[in-house]
Amino acid sequence: MKKLSILLFTMIALNGIAQNVEFEKKNFPGRKDELNEAKDNIKKGDEIFEQGEAYYRDALPFYLKAQNFNPNNAKLNFKIGLCYLHSFEKKKAYDYILKAFQLDPSVDPKIRYYMGRVYHLNSEWDKAIQEYSACLNTIKSKEEIKDVNKKIQECNSGKILSQNPIRVWVDNLGPEVNTSFNEYSPVITADESVLMFTSRRPGGVGNKMDESKNEYFEDVWVSYKVGKKFSQAVNLGPPVNTENHDAAVCLSPDGQKLITYQGGVNGGDLFISYLVGKQWSKPENLGKAINTKYHESSASFSYDGKILYFVSDREGGYGGHDIYYAEINEKGKFEKAVNIGPVINTEYDEEGVYMMPDGKTMYFASKGHNSIGGYDVFKTTFENGQWTKPVNLGIPINTPDDDAFFALAGSGRRAYYSSASLGGYGGMDLYKITILGPEKQPLLNTEDQLLAMSAKPVTNLKVEQAVEVTKPKMTLLKGIVYDAKTNEPLEAILNLIDNEKNVILASFKSNAATGKYLVTLPSGKNYGIAVQREGYLFHSENFNLPADADYQEVTKDIPLKKIEIGNTIVLKNIFFDFDKATLRPESFNELDRLVKLLTENPTIKVELSAHTDSKGSDEYNMKLSQKRAESVVNYLIGKGISADRLIAKGYGETQPIDTNDTEEGRQNNRRVEFKILSAK
Amino acid sequence: MKNVILTISILCFSIFSYSQSDTVKIAANLTPEQIAQNDYNSGLNYLNNNNPSMAIQLFTQALQNMPNFEKAYYNRSLCYIQLKNYPEALKDINQAIQLKPSDEYYFTKSLIFFHQNQKDSLEQTLLKTLVINPNHAEANYYLGMLYFNYQDYDKALSYYQKAIQSKSDYAYAYNDLASTYLMKNDIDNAIKNYELAAKYAPNQAFIFNNLGSAYRQKKDYNKAIEAYSKAIMLDNNYFIAYINSGATRLEKGDIVGAKSDFEKVIQKDPRNSAAYNGLAGVYIKEKDYKKAKEMATRAIELNPDNGQAYYNRGIARQMLREEDAACEDWQKALKLGITPAKSFISTDCAD
Repeated sequence: MKKLSILLFTMIALNGIAQNVEFEKKNFPGRKDELNEAKDNIKKGDEIFEQGEAYYRDALPFYLKAQNFNPNNAKLNFKIGLCYLHSFEKKKAYDYILKAFQLDPSVDPKIRYYMGRVYHLNSEWDKAIQEYSACLNTIKSKEEIKDVNKKIQECNSGKILSQNPIRVWVDNLGPEVNTSFNEYSPVITADESVLMFTSRRPGGVGNKMDESKNEYFEDVWVSYKVGKKFSQAVNLGPPVNTENHDAAVCLSPDGQKLITYQGGVNGGDLFISYLVGKQWSKPENLGKAINTKYHESSASFSYDGKILYFVSDREGGYGGHDIYYAEINEKGKFEKAVNIGPVINTEYDEEGVYMMPDGKTMYFASKGHNSIGGYDVFKTTFENGQWTKPVNLGIPINTPDDDAFFALAGSGRRAYYSSASLGGYGGMDLYKITILGPEKQPLLNTEDQLLAMSAKPVTNLKVEQAVEVTKPKMTLLKGIVYDAKTNEPLEAILNLIDNEKNVILASFKSNAATGKYLVTLPSGKNYGIAVQREGYLFHSENFNLPADADYQEVTKDIPLKKIEIGNTIVLKNIFFDFDKATLRPESFNELDRLVKLLTENPTIKVELSAHTDSKGSDEYNMKLSQKRAESVVNYLIGKGISADRLIAKGYGETQPIDTNDTEEGRQNNRRVEFKILSAK
Repeated sequence: MKNVILTISILCFSIFSYSQSDTVKIAANLTPEQIAQNDYNSGLNYLNNNNPSMAIQLFTQALQNMPNFEKAYYNRSLCYIQLKNYPEALKDINQAIQLKPSDEYYFTKSLIFFHQNQKDSLEQTLLKTLVINPNHAEANYYLGMLYFNYQDYDKALSYYQKAIQSKSDYAYAYNDLASTYLMKNDIDNAIKNYELAAKYAPNQAFIFNNLGSAYRQKKDYNKAIEAYSKAIMLDNNYFIAYINSGATRLEKGDIVGAKSDFEKVIQKDPRNSAAYNGLAGVYIKEKDYKKAKEMATRAIELNPDNGQAYYNRGIARQMLREEDAACEDWQKALKLGITPAKSFISTDCAD
């Protein structure tokens, strides 16, 4: 009886485990035609399979038809698994690879490796480690052993990082942006109004296939934010897109400059294009300091546009693609590119470099460091003259597959990137990351009767620690430059000045068609902003941002006045010592601008007037303002401007332009003005 | 301050003290003074027997026969205080003070201002009381309360301490002194003084509740829960202590215990908004945001001014991806005085 039970159990068990079924007549009696059709499909699939990995996914439809006929063939399951691993739907390989092993553990010498891969891609870290470790016994090539050990290390990193997932929402950007083809490398303006990205979908310029990858050539596509969503993406068209590879690489925070990658040139080079009105200019090669015969791919400007960080696989790096930087000299030329160093670069590939507008935070993708598989996104900051050790952004942003091209919005609240492992519409898709910050704790204050005589309880508010997203400390200044008289938008140059160092930090242009501009100002400086256009009086603004000034968005439309009699400008970057008429050095840049204006317009005569707030006596204010106006005039005379063109006038507190009841109002009232008296 | 009522015990204490010391002998031929004293004593009996209206009639008769009878003015003033006729009470106490200024009369006058919520007059009168008798425990205590309400915690501390110097077992003064330390974030001294208050008034649930909250602030959750439990033991319907205990357990990570505390309140008082808010907190911790939202909504239905419930519902809604609604809730919470909502609004509702 006991023996019978064991036999019965064994039979049941064997029936439960599928057996490998070969495509042979004896296994399919009476189904000759179907068998032949299945074998024919396998043959067709094999022919495509042999063309190389890029074509594996084209073999899939044939293999899957044969699989429908006979789902229990180990080799076919293995091949389907491999095809999926090289397709846009990698996770589908999971069932086929595991089934192939189940049907025949010796189906392929590398079956344990591929089992490791599918477990790895499915974030089953322990099982992946087990399979990778098992496959180490079967391989001998140093390269393969290194690869497997790296993958075991990735799984160990995955185990650690999965214990503390970060609080973000990762949302697919939807069918307006993503397709079943690869989308990646999103670039955004600081205010997220414009999104550009690379797509290998059909419908691009040329609409041709890249045979080597069995994919369409890359093109740059653009989408605009409408409300909270992005509009249907459209091809950016020529001249940015060509018939070859054109990829989005870097969009300046104001959306006026676009760096693209062109694959058909010199091993892959970086180009720059400018938005002139509504048209993008023809991309210009960034030159030899940046581009080599090697592959230059992603890039990002520093916030002031004076340093370009970029990726290249040129010789002399630390391995694969590395991050380099090149400074732009006073002539506007790139200095020699420098490898950013081993703190950031590894023996593996680095990609997707993105420099935050705060001027010190860099995001990049790397297959090295503690990646959990493929490219992961890392963050590093420039502190005390060096880059900090890169930190993996963590799960769920990073996945076991490729995650790259991270771009953070100016607000620091949202980011965009591309990921291959989150499902979506196929291949790499673009995702929006919403950064939630620390977990929000419920508020349950104690209710106490603090005073014994209280009939009604006094609520003692126990304030929880504020939950705050770490925001970049910067100000995003945006608006429109327009003609003060006609209200027509104007293209103008915006110079960003470090008032303390008296140097121009960066120059930007407002858009010719819309007059729009956007400038990012990292906290910790006294900024002067001079808006200039030929034939117009310059307009100045001042932003004194202490180092701890939080992120803010300021919209300021700037009217430019023509150089005409009677027109005035307020000189907002002229500073005096407290209660004195001594000009502070921070004023010199503004004053020199005034000198330039007077030199370029030699016929105009002007009044320089100084004004005070209402603090202090009328008489005192009148005297102080007169002295201050004279100080300005004396500076100009010292710079060669004829005294007979200049009138100094102190108005004291007699001409307020704002209230004297608030500090802000008083600050506005304390000013120096420039007025054109005559132009002949 | 306006919510603070005069304890009858103080009044009774005053009345009792006079009824003991003014025994009047009744003679056959009574002088007006003797008649007045007779009426006065009868009035006192009515006052002691909780009939201030009759007492007023008798004190009035007494004053007709003896217009300078300051004690009659004083006791009639107490009657008017009982009847909440503060203008008449003030007139009488002023008469009494005019006839014979004393610390007790001034103190009684200050109580009238206290009831009328006339803080400036209250302060001045209490200070006058202390000019006559710097060790007047109650006057010092009331000044402590006054300055506590003015949020002048240093002055409050000083007067509470003087009250305790004058009356070393003054439990309420210890309690209030502890609360003042709490407001100054001196939690250790708060705990020390709440414990002294509890020592001298071991049956007052609210003192143990306050002690629990001080321990909660110190993050000594076990002692906090112990104190809240004592408060609940003293008063089984003291919902505040249940809710505070639940909040503390939640903060400690004892989700089951917290849930039990809040549910006990709901069993006893199904319309208790704070208890539902507590349950919302429990479900937020359990990441069951749907239920959290449900509970917070119920809390709001029961008390539309429950700012904490809006705050917590906002958290639940955000996690349910109802982001706009979450921001609306936090805005509402902020309007209801829940200032921590401000940081959420600035970080999560910027666009």
